[in-house]
Amino acid sequence: MTPVLKAEKLSKWYGNILGISDIHLEIRSGITGLLGPNGAGKSTFLKIAAGQLKPKLGALTIFGEPVYGNPRLFRRIGFCPEHDSAYAEMSGRGFILLLARLHGFTGAEAAAKAEKALGTVGLLDSQERAIKGYSFGMRQRLRLASSILHEPELLMLDEPLRGVDPLWRIRIMQLINEIVLIHQGKIFAKGDIHRIRGLIDSHPHQVSIRSPRPRPLAARLIGNEFISGVEFAADGRGLTVRTNQRDHFFTHLMGLLAEGGMDIEEITSPDDNLQAVFDYLIGK
Amino acid sequence: MTMKGNHPTLILFGSFFSSGLRAKRTRVFILLAMVPVLLMLAARVMESAGTVSAGDVAGFFSHFMLSLYFQLLIPVLALFFGTSIVNEELDNKTLVYLTTVPVPRRAVLLGKYLAAILLASLLVASGFLLCFLAASFTRLGDPAAWEELGLFLGTSLLALFCYSALFSALGAFMKKSILLGLFFVFGWESVVQYFPGVTQKFTIVHWVKSLLPVPPGQNSFLIFQLQPSPPLQSVLTLLVAGALFLYIAVFIFERKEYILSDNA
Repeated sequence: MTPVLKAEKLSKWYGNILGISDIHLEIRSGITGLLGPNGAGKSTFLKIAAGQLKPKLGALTIFGEPVYGNPRLFRRIGFCPEHDSAYAEMSGRGFILLLARLHGFTGAEAAAKAEKALGTVGLLDSQERAIKGYSFGMRQRLRLASSILHEPELLMLDEPLRGVDPLWRIRIMQLINEIVLIHQGKIFAKGDIHRIRGLIDSHPHQVSIRSPRPRPLAARLIGNEFISGVEFAADGRGLTVRTNQRDHFFTHLMGLLAEGGMDIEEITSPDDNLQAVFDYLIGK
Repeated sequence: MTMKGNHPTLILFGSFFSSGLRAKRTRVFILLAMVPVLLMLAARVMESAGTVSAGDVAGFFSHFMLSLYFQLLIPVLALFFGTSIVNEELDNKTLVYLTTVPVPRRAVLLGKYLAAILLASLLVASGFLLCFLAASFTRLGDPAAWEELGLFLGTSLLALFCYSALFSALGAFMKKSILLGLFFVFGWESVVQYFPGVTQKFTIVHWVKSLLPVPPGQNSFLIFQLQPSPPLQSVLTLLVAGALFLYIAVFIFERKEYILSDNA
């Protein structure tokens, strides 16, 4: 079977700084995670794969074609960049509509594609607002929408879960389960989404919860078998929960919220990414 | 997938023109473009109060205002709009969205260039029109006055076309292009245009000024050490130079590798 992505003797350097050196790689259909320690060249590799950088030596092809200087190939590729960048003055819908038109869709088709993509990432309600009014997580979901709107054969995601709240992380994981993926993290791992997701689900997690009354919340959490520890924030307005079963924890937390009486301002899960998996696996 | 619809250049032009209208920077430039109008109105008020004569006001327009527009406002607007075509995408790290769609880079640059030049033209033309009306409202029935306005507006558009193309090439070539652009406008253009011989023909402002009428009086900014070039030659030079600069901008933008992050 022809590889989806193939790198041969791929090297890239910036002046005296080496980005990647002599990479040989084949990625076939399925879901692939790209992980490694800081400085391993993951970003450089992904930027070359997305046609943003030109290899100094060697070649990288996708579907058998070179990527750099080959815009036609992006009919088949979706790329979600890592930068928190956006056209601040545009509305979310205007931005996605523009990209849909640039993908060659007519007005009506583009509107339908934009609506579908925005609906997939849960931004239909805020689609008419200017992007400058979006939260970090909303902008991240908008970037994801920009990469999936044309239903690409290959989707490349650079840190797609960063800044997204835990509930949307689960939704995004479900979404990318359907699509071939290059997922940029911190360790190289190749396998299917269940394996990556299994790693993410099973390694110890920390979940930070901001609440004006953290002690009653802690009392409701401590004692559950999936909670391995609770620490209160120094300012007395939050707590950090450690869990080995992230999904169970969130299900339980949602139950508590539904019961009422829990005043929660924010939930973040800073280690819910492949860096944390990498740290866990190497015993950091 | 249906591959119908507008050309990507036109799609980008429409989108960036409408978002440009709402941009904060445009509001600042609207204020800047209104400064000459306020100055002209102030001159009219002074004329009504008898502080200055009508001839002085007419002279104020032909000497000071034309100089303000063609030596300051138009090059500065072209500098900011032209360099921002690529630099803004690099500063905001949004270039990645326009280079990961099935659209040639030249369409991206040309679409954004058209949006930038239309925005700049609207700013200049509206300010110029108001200024002209304030300066010439006593002779609005005179067809010559409207011919003069047409000449000023046409020259403005040609100047914007050429300057914007030059600065878009500069913006595509280097990230901190504003400083070099300012040096070009206030250094090269301001000084070299008064050099004797053919040297002044290496400025854009020489060809722009060659299209403007030379008003009576020895103190006009339009008095050259070398005679102005013929109008047709000036128009052609500005058109060819603008097209050449635009070609260079596209050439650079299509080939240059833009690194949006310092992380290797």
